[in-house]
Amino acid sequence: MSGDETSPDESVEADGGVAGEAVHEDHEFPPKSSVKRWFVTTNHKDVGMLYLVTSLLFLVMGGVLALLMRTQLWVPRAPGTGPLSAFAYNQAVSVHGLVMVFWFLSPFAFGFANYVVPLQIGAKDLAFPRLNALSYWFYLASGILLGVSFFQGGSFAGGWTMYAPLSLPRFVPSIGGNSAILALLLFVVSVTVGSVNFLTTIHRMRADGLTLRRLPLFTWTILLTVWMMLFAFAALLAALLILSADRLLGTTYFAAEAANGALLWTHLFWFFGHPEVYIVFFPALGVMAETFQTFTGRRIVGRKWFIAAMVLVALQSFVVWMHHMFLTSINLEIKTLFMVTTIGISLPFDLMVFSLIYTMVKGRIRFTTPFLFSFGGLLLFIVGGITGVFLGAVVLDYEFRGTYWVVAHFHYVMVAGVAALIGGLYYWYPKMTGRMYDEFLGKLHFAVFFVGFNLLYFPMFVAWETPRRDFAYDPGMTTWHQLATVGGFVFGLSFLIMVYNMVVSAYAGEPADDNPWEYASTAEWAVPSPPPLENFPGVPSYGGGRLQFLGGDSETDATESDAADSVADGGSPDGVADGAGTAEVVGGEVATPHRRAQEETHDPAPSHASIWPFGVGVAAFLALFGLSGFQNGQFASGAMGTVYAASTGVGLLGVLATLVAMARERFHGPSGPFGESWPFGGVGNVKTGVWIFLASDVVLFGAFIGAYVFLRFSTGWVAWEPIPENVTPGLVNTYLLLTSSFAVVLALEAAEREHRWGVVASLGTTLVLGLGFLGNKAIEWNHLFHEGVWLSSNVRASTFFLTTGLHAAHVITGLLIAAYMLPRAWRGAYLGDSAPIEHFGLYWHFVDIVWLFLFPLFYIL
Amino acid sequence: MTRLKLYTAIYVVLFVSATVQVLVEQAGMAYWTALGIIMVLSFAKAVVVAGYYQHLRWEPRSVTTLVAMGLLAALALTVAATYSIT
Repeated sequence: MSGDETSPDESVEADGGVAGEAVHEDHEFPPKSSVKRWFVTTNHKDVGMLYLVTSLLFLVMGGVLALLMRTQLWVPRAPGTGPLSAFAYNQAVSVHGLVMVFWFLSPFAFGFANYVVPLQIGAKDLAFPRLNALSYWFYLASGILLGVSFFQGGSFAGGWTMYAPLSLPRFVPSIGGNSAILALLLFVVSVTVGSVNFLTTIHRMRADGLTLRRLPLFTWTILLTVWMMLFAFAALLAALLILSADRLLGTTYFAAEAANGALLWTHLFWFFGHPEVYIVFFPALGVMAETFQTFTGRRIVGRKWFIAAMVLVALQSFVVWMHHMFLTSINLEIKTLFMVTTIGISLPFDLMVFSLIYTMVKGRIRFTTPFLFSFGGLLLFIVGGITGVFLGAVVLDYEFRGTYWVVAHFHYVMVAGVAALIGGLYYWYPKMTGRMYDEFLGKLHFAVFFVGFNLLYFPMFVAWETPRRDFAYDPGMTTWHQLATVGGFVFGLSFLIMVYNMVVSAYAGEPADDNPWEYASTAEWAVPSPPPLENFPGVPSYGGGRLQFLGGDSETDATESDAADSVADGGSPDGVADGAGTAEVVGGEVATPHRRAQEETHDPAPSHASIWPFGVGVAAFLALFGLSGFQNGQFASGAMGTVYAASTGVGLLGVLATLVAMARERFHGPSGPFGESWPFGGVGNVKTGVWIFLASDVVLFGAFIGAYVFLRFSTGWVAWEPIPENVTPGLVNTYLLLTSSFAVVLALEAAEREHRWGVVASLGTTLVLGLGFLGNKAIEWNHLFHEGVWLSSNVRASTFFLTTGLHAAHVITGLLIAAYMLPRAWRGAYLGDSAPIEHFGLYWHFVDIVWLFLFPLFYIL
Repeated sequence: MTRLKLYTAIYVVLFVSATVQVLVEQAGMAYWTALGIIMVLSFAKAVVVAGYYQHLRWEPRSVTTLVAMGLLAALALTVAATYSIT
């Protein structure tokens, strides 16, 4: 499907990541000092660093917006007075929320996830290194587009929750408003690609003996985070696609006139939004767990219950979303049910909090900077959690909703996560840079951070009656707001101490050992600081009861531990990995028999460089920047309209061209066999990835169909007639798609029998039938347009065109893949390896399945 | 060859059942009865395509569970949201 990201022959003996960086200089992988490296790198550690630095820049952006707000709030002001205009204030509030939640918090956590998770599980890299780089470039492109939105007549100003109908052009008409939403759309694509990658990696590429039970807690939290991301962000993708269609094409899903349109948005948004709370918090919880273990010298108390509680929260997070909607028109029965589930989700959190507290009681605490931040994060989380219980109770929520109580509560929760992640930054800093930070400055940072934060947010509980998102407030609360503003500046300035410490220490800090922390015992501490390009001096294995690097004659132990689980899961103090066994490290380059064997057999060395992810990112930026200028089904007239149209065209062609170039590129990803692959043993990395992606696509289409069902019920089910008056075009298209699916089945059969012409004929048939499907649809739509039925005619028409349009977009994507594969099939590409046809078939059959539901829902019933 | 015959038979069944869905609607049954039959047929067809054309029948059960989780999430959203309407 997309080149050979993974070696076609996963049964080939793994090389264990023994190749050093020097090998890759032959493959044009530039050194870290080269700017080029950072544009082409696909290595997980480099991508992790890129995420960390970029997310901190977005922290600055979000922080400056917050300080602007706090300045405006120094005294209660009339609209139009003070440093910010009313519109500017609304933009600052909205974009601050969007930036902090999306562009800072999660990517900051995923900087660590990128860097640390492969090291902890014993993998050389993520399963799909280029897709990992692509995730990053989509992320950066989306963030830049959000920044650009300020210069397009003003950014989005309808609040970070983007509630309808305020989110529509009638209330936020600027092109910048479109850009902000399209930027978030691209961010969601980045997250989805990343989720597929991390899920495939953590499930399929763990070292031998590293079962899920033994998985380090940070990796556990990332695993659960990406599972939640996969499904939650698919719902947000649906919401944003519909909102984009409402803004750009004129569909009327969320229009005030539609029955329950505004309520539909809240369902779609909060179905994503509540799991998102745990998506941003879980990685921080993982950092807490790791640092509490390391700095108390004690394995976490009740480890398996801690994990079970996290799994329970991840599941429960999908059944609590309506507690954000107690003030909407939903019925009392469902409010009561969701109050119960919401109060229920606090129980597993209680268990986790007590587990962390009891770990401190049982261990001997060392108050290092990482521990202080983690401990501070735990305290803030307890305050945030308790104040949140108030909001989970229906009656209390009637009073607190829309006030500063909510603002204070969720900042205590979110910044609890930030605090722990900052702890993570100090914790892994020596691993990433090879140097120690200044401990005094670290502690000073914590002190100023903690005081500043509480000075900023605790007064908000006192002044809770202040209306949220409003710069006018009761003058009697001025003192509390002034305290908060002072706290905001103290809090913001604390980060300057951190930046100074990090930058200076990177050059002048004391060199760090492999493991600078006594009692740190996960695998990242068993390799040099910073780790070599391919991480390990052999194939990591826990199979022998302790972490070993297997590499022919020089098999070495990485730890002194007696028990495998104690090194795998960050366990007992005895299980310290000292990295003493990193064999034959000469001049920073690892040389082992495995490496030599690799060179002798001319096995391709793993690739680490590709320019195409960056290219796709640039093209996607251009396409979405151009589309922001598209309103009510057309580009604006004049020079800017031409610029937007041209940018869209160049961007879309660019996306296609760069994706094709990426698919054609020779790139050798991590090859197997990998150790532990439960529960996807025997499925293969690419196939696992395709299935995981399809599961998220199930939620995407499910949300679209759910929106249709919801609106139809709201309008009156039976009175809602299908838009096409004639069922025949839909039936013909069903026949065409079913037949095309059968043709793909035949293509796979032909490939397995090494029948070249059979493959070509079958793929060609699929292509022709798919084109027939699109042609038939075009005729049908054209007929409807001539009858005056347009996307904006009514909500019935909107759901018909948009849902079947999304399906058609999937068909077009499938046909582009088929068109790419056809000439390759002609050259006999799939005769020895039918896997790409099978993977394409999985996607194509899924598109077929979706139509099996759309046809009756939109044509018959 | 047996497998190819199976795939072909499935194709014929899918083709016919799509036609049956249209005929059910035109048969003059009660609306909700027709809706029930038509949706059951859609689910049955989806299961057959996933089970045989996508080979889920021969994959580890975890892959089916993965897809079922997505389906469950979508159904939870749809059912709960629709039920919430006053």
